Amino acid sequence: MEAAGTKLSRSDLTRTFWRYIFFSQMGWNYERMQSVGYCYSMLPVLQKTHPDPEDFKEAFITNLNFFNTNPVVGFPLILGAHVALEEAGASLETTEGLKVGLMGPLAGVGDTLVWALYNSIILSIGSVMALEGNILGPILALILVFIPYLAVRYWQFFWAYNQGTELISQLGSGAIMRVTELATIVGLIVIGGFAPSIVRMSTALEWSREVEVRGEMTTQVINVQQQLDAILPYMLPVLVTWLAYWLLKRGWSPIRVIVVLLVVGFVGGALNILG
Amino acid sequence: MLTAILLALWAYACIWDILGPVFFLGFRPLIAGFGAGIIVGDIETGMLIGGTLELMALGVYTYGGATIPDFTVGAILGTFFGKTEGFEVGIALAIPAALLLTQVDILNRFLNFIFVHRADAYAEEGNVKGFERMMQIFSHMIWGFSRAIPVFLAVQFGEDAVKSVSTFFENNPWFNQGISVTGGILPALGFAMLLKILPVEKYPAFLLLGFVLFAYLSVPLVGIALAALATALVYQQLKYRGQEA
Repeated sequence: MEAAGTKLSRSDLTRTFWRYIFFSQMGWNYERMQSVGYCYSMLPVLQKTHPDPEDFKEAFITNLNFFNTNPVVGFPLILGAHVALEEAGASLETTEGLKVGLMGPLAGVGDTLVWALYNSIILSIGSVMALEGNILGPILALILVFIPYLAVRYWQFFWAYNQGTELISQLGSGAIMRVTELATIVGLIVIGGFAPSIVRMSTALEWSREVEVRGEMTTQVINVQQQLDAILPYMLPVLVTWLAYWLLKRGWSPIRVIVVLLVVGFVGGALNILG
Repeated sequence: MLTAILLALWAYACIWDILGPVFFLGFRPLIAGFGAGIIVGDIETGMLIGGTLELMALGVYTYGGATIPDFTVGAILGTFFGKTEGFEVGIALAIPAALLLTQVDILNRFLNFIFVHRADAYAEEGNVKGFERMMQIFSHMIWGFSRAIPVFLAVQFGEDAVKSVSTFFENNPWFNQGISVTGGILPALGFAMLLKILPVEKYPAFLLLGFVLFAYLSVPLVGIALAALATALVYQQLKYRGQEA
């Protein structure tokens, strides 16, 4: 646990905010999704709150961990709260717990609000107008994207920052340890459900055999995936995640693990074993 | 040639927008088609193609981050071909183009792992400048060019090229399957890295609880998070009993 923390200036906050606006999903990839965008947004803050070079390096590396949530509703909330925790000198465990605990649930809320509801409404209205040859259709949609989206992101970031700072100032230093533990537990439970919801792996294998039913020969098809589901749902995603974890624990580099997953996925998919 | 370049740049801008700014939601067909209409000088066709594709695809945009047919490129190419060949031809080309680009999307999301591994290396060195340069200059390039190049080629070389490429993928489904299965498996590594830094061995029960809630009870993630909070609070109440002031 670090001591008192570092005061951040208003310009540190705005820098982080604009980096988030322009880069939140740049470099998005299957392995760690929004991690580089998140890390890039946090760097100006991390540089201030971790003056010791070794200490900073650790924070830099840790903030490249897996991260994914809704980029419009969710991401700025987590970022704002994280900045407040950094300012209070919270440990990397606490901040990772915060990110892990909030990203999954907020992704669900944000995707529903932003992608499913708001976008569908404004774009279907815009499309109907456009099909009537009314140029105001797309223009209206553009206005209803630009202004509300910028405003809602700005508000979330600064609201979470202000709330976070206030909350932390009310707690004593012993309480931070308990918050860390709380965040860790929440994070672990959420990952337990989040990982199988994101990792996709199933088998397309089928067995067919001739069986005699009341004197008549019929073909019985056994779907392997159904059998696996009966034993343990999401068995393959769990196994492959556990395999990757086990290999990392044994000191394998992430690159080597990627190669293994790549070969399994591509060969399995191409041969129609997985699908 | 100029039209091909401008449409390619527009395709780049549309995908760039959703990678962060979300200033104009360019990846949605209505907007992509409208912009393409302005470029080819036929806003009417742009709105018709874009609006039609938008209403057709409305349902597929309900999830963030998932790979879906690329109606962005579909709307841009549909507008271009629709202007000269008519609305029906435009739509008839837009849909296979959108389906074709689905594979490109998976491939580029996969190739982007280069950035995260470069970032790891910069972090090990503590090289902030290098990381920032990568983000500012390169981080959108794979995504952007994966849309800009097909648009440029399709506009420049026309219908036949679009058709012959889509036949290759139709005739070789194993290639698509391999790529899409790999895309589903790779996040396992991200979660594994996360688990590695968390005290899994100290609290294995919590991980198991989250899994049971999701896999057997189908609790949505918000519900899992609330259950997690409740569990953590109860755990701490019992653990710190008697220490309360």
